[in-house]
Amino acid sequence: MATFFRLGSRQVLNHFLRNEKVGMLSLVRPVTLKAQPACPPKEMGHDERNMKLGRPQSPHLTIYAPQLTSMLSISHRATGMILAGYTIMWGLGAVVLPDSISCYLEDLAAANVSSILLCGTKFMLAFPMTYHFWNGIRHLMWDMGLFLTLKEVYATGYVMLILALGSAIALVSM
Amino acid sequence: MALASILRNASRVQAGALPRFFFKPASVAVNRNFSSSLCPNYATFNKNSNLNLGLFVPHGKILIAPQARMMSGDHSRLWPIEKALSVSLLVLVPAAIASPHFILDNLLAVAAVAHFHWGLEAVVIDYARPIVVGNVLAKLALFLLYIISATTLGGLIYYNVNEDGIGQTIRQFWAIKGSGKEKTADSSGSEKK
Repeated sequence: MATFFRLGSRQVLNHFLRNEKVGMLSLVRPVTLKAQPACPPKEMGHDERNMKLGRPQSPHLTIYAPQLTSMLSISHRATGMILAGYTIMWGLGAVVLPDSISCYLEDLAAANVSSILLCGTKFMLAFPMTYHFWNGIRHLMWDMGLFLTLKEVYATGYVMLILALGSAIALVSM
Repeated sequence: MALASILRNASRVQAGALPRFFFKPASVAVNRNFSSSLCPNYATFNKNSNLNLGLFVPHGKILIAPQARMMSGDHSRLWPIEKALSVSLLVLVPAAIASPHFILDNLLAVAAVAHFHWGLEAVVIDYARPIVVGNVLAKLALFLLYIISATTLGGLIYYNVNEDGIGQTIRQFWAIKGSGKEKTADSSGSEKK
């Protein structure tokens, strides 16, 4: 477009008459390219930027209906954290407690605690373990590419719950 | 449009035909030695290069905005090890309880601590994010996790060496009978999950 305007002007005609070597480039306005490094993208993340703009967040946990998938998943994490807590208490207790743990166990045996309380405690120890165990197998199966359809996820989920509860009760009754 | 026609036909123009006083060409050299790190790739510009009408060639890589992540390096090497450890725990936990042995107890201690360390690390990184708890607390939480894991491993191995061992202790606890169960006289010899 600029070429057409230039062609109409008197300066271009003079240039044509005076210049021997007329290439196509002489009709065109010269441009200098100034090379610059690309601007790096701003380091602020999505959340930070929206916080700075004062935008409210959409609700998520408060509005999303609980489903078997999400509930089993968070329970897997929760039981994992509980088991980690038991392990940490054992490891720390072994070093910190004044007496050995077997001494405390003998005291507990001698204390003649009610069996309901004992069964309850054993269940609290066994169930997180069995839940995490069977759901862990379910996770490993997913990692192998098995049971990934929604139907299979639900089916294995129910099977896992039955197995977890069943094995926990079996262990407690031993 | 003028610029477009220059750039499109630049290769067809002989050097002698260019009226030099009209424009100064840009000297551009594109750095083709890209590393695959997370840093954005920029072209470097060399002022001393020869007159070069080469264009700025897009290298096909997307500039990735660096994320504020706690870990460096990729997790893909660790993932198979974590899965192998999980499988080994499936075997170790029942085995160490069913037939207690010094080696099994120590293997269980190491495997359990490694497993919960990686699990809790994922939890810390998911929930104790810098934008939520601040930069200091995020790093502190991860640091504390390392301390806790190391201490627990030390405590468990100490227990295995100096006291009864994990498997034997669990059997001992499980054998405790309450005041309601007087009739059964079975010992702690039962197993089976």
